[in-house]
Amino acid sequence: MEISICHLYPDVLNLYGDRGNVLCMQKRLAWRGIDCTVAGIQIGDSRPLSGFDLFFIGGGQDFEQEILLRDLGNKKAADIKAAAEDGKPFLCVCGGYQLMGKTYETSKGVRCDYLGVLDMFTVGAEKRVTGNFAFEFEGVPVVGFENHSGRTFLGEGVSPLGRVISGFGNNGEDGTEGARYQNVFGTYSHGPVLPKNPAFCDYILETALSRKYGREILEPLPDESENAAHDTMLRRMTGKEAKP
Amino acid sequence: MRLFLALILCKLIRLALRLLGRGGTALPGKAALKICPDMLGKLSKGVATVLITGTNGKTTTARMTEQMIRDAGYSYFANRSGSNLERGIAAEFAANSTIFGRPKRTYAIIECDEAAFRTVAGKVAPRVIVVTNIFRDQLDRFGEVTRTLESIREGVKKAPEAVLCLNADCSLTASLAEGVPNTLRLFGMDVPLEESAGVSDAPRCIRCGAEYAYSFRTFAHLGGFFCPDCGYARQRPAVSITAVRAFLPEGSEADFMIDGAAYPAYVGLPAAYNLYNAAAALAAATALGVPAQKAAGSLADTRDVFGRMESFEINGVPIRMILVKNPAGCDRALDYLAGMIQGEYLAVFCLNDNVADGTDVSWIWDSGFERLFSGGTEPGLIVSGTRAEDMRLRLKYAGAREDAVRIIQGDGALIAAAAAGGVPVYILPTYTAMLSIRSELTRLCGGRKFWE
Repeated sequence: MEISICHLYPDVLNLYGDRGNVLCMQKRLAWRGIDCTVAGIQIGDSRPLSGFDLFFIGGGQDFEQEILLRDLGNKKAADIKAAAEDGKPFLCVCGGYQLMGKTYETSKGVRCDYLGVLDMFTVGAEKRVTGNFAFEFEGVPVVGFENHSGRTFLGEGVSPLGRVISGFGNNGEDGTEGARYQNVFGTYSHGPVLPKNPAFCDYILETALSRKYGREILEPLPDESENAAHDTMLRRMTGKEAKP
Repeated sequence: MRLFLALILCKLIRLALRLLGRGGTALPGKAALKICPDMLGKLSKGVATVLITGTNGKTTTARMTEQMIRDAGYSYFANRSGSNLERGIAAEFAANSTIFGRPKRTYAIIECDEAAFRTVAGKVAPRVIVVTNIFRDQLDRFGEVTRTLESIREGVKKAPEAVLCLNADCSLTASLAEGVPNTLRLFGMDVPLEESAGVSDAPRCIRCGAEYAYSFRTFAHLGGFFCPDCGYARQRPAVSITAVRAFLPEGSEADFMIDGAAYPAYVGLPAAYNLYNAAAALAAATALGVPAQKAAGSLADTRDVFGRMESFEINGVPIRMILVKNPAGCDRALDYLAGMIQGEYLAVFCLNDNVADGTDVSWIWDSGFERLFSGGTEPGLIVSGTRAEDMRLRLKYAGAREDAVRIIQGDGALIAAAAAGGVPVYILPTYTAMLSIRSELTRLCGGRKFWE
């Protein structure tokens, strides 16, 4: 078995250790003897995206997001939409998550059209939300770090990825965090999110494998360090050190 | 009158704190600034100040500059404690002025936090500004690198008289020269280095957004950058490293070019990034009039810098502490470990997530810990700190065996366990971890207090 991962814009969407997610997926496949290749698709790279099994998009700087929109403009945007509609799994974090929505409106009222894969929109706010946070995904608490000024509101066509346990999430109002549509998983969680949440990582990997090879259940890994990091942070947030 | 009251208060609090055996580097200034908000502006009049800012290398550059002007016989003071916000800097000026607000010394070597620089630069009217480099750092506090850059730019614009010493190889830093009337004095490295590149914090042109090309690279995004679209490019520095003769575990031998003349020198702190710090210090000291030959000679004598490549010894076991706080700095420390250390050693990583460290520890995933496990001697591994579990996890994904990484909490227990191995120890702590481990190490070694 083999999974080929497409890492979109690793050169500009590379903040907050998000590439740790790709490393995590690679390692967790390798530890089970499953082959994995990773291709970084940079600005100006017009390779077709149809051959990839799994997509990752991280967060970036505002300065670079403009350059990005220019590059997405024509063909790449259509390729991404087609892959998502086709049921290919995507993990999209923070800026990459917002990008999958319909629009982004800055705090000064300037509106940009985004990819429109997810039925949601984001509005920029003056105040940045920064801190450790946790949300529930498929009955399991996911821990991470959020750092965003955008407030995201979901439409009818998507479900939230999870419910906020501690922290802010999509908008601080409706208790939702992230979005899920087909196999597109959008989240505000940095950290990076996957290494500390091995169940979430394996869920995405199983989705990719099942889509390609029929129903696949991954064999469990020891995950001693993963669980220790996860549990320590969850305890800190839900215990006496709970911080917004 | 307000200044007089503020000064009395500041000096009294400082004295009281010292009598209690505490450092007291920020509190006196905080109190005094309440009484006289422009204290810093008033006290810095008549002092020729070198203001040093940037992401990495502020403290080391300041210590090197200090060594140079001390050796040249200048009368000066410095904020050696690392208290580098306005209140700490104000307190340092207060301590070095008479009760009537007159300066006791002619020169000041001041390191300044990047976010505080905006305010401080406008108040002290610096003679020389040094910007060491700009990397991503504590994104939860500073935000994105372009924000740090703009904050520094704002400060530079308030100090048109200052000689501007900028890192020529950093496309972000060098852009500070644009549209300002300052005298420019660039420093940099004219030769490529075989360091790991890591994640680039500035892949695209700050002017036009096109991807940079490089004629040579040193490390991270530093090197001979040029933009093929708009022509923004590295300028030839006045002070540069023209050849590296040897990287040694304790220091480096290199040739420096200063205003067209060559000066071979030994730098008493190891690793490539300290050559950049040396070039920055040379640019600053020579801008103050220190003869180039003399300044280059002083580079051999800066050895122990507070927590930065600082050496200790416990029961005959050498311990070196290398402060790490962002991916670029951490990659340099890892390059040093992987490239320079022969034989067995122990690597200790102490990851805290207090406000002064940055509450977001995700940056460890942007740093290349993999190189510790890619051939050569793998170090023994200990992790510690408020985010020790995250650190252990990072090492696992970098290639460490899960059961090979020990978690040890508490500074005393940590130092004891580290020294018990009998092999050289390298401690890589974040800022607050460095402070507490250093204080325990200093106690065990009977060393100096940090404000001395």
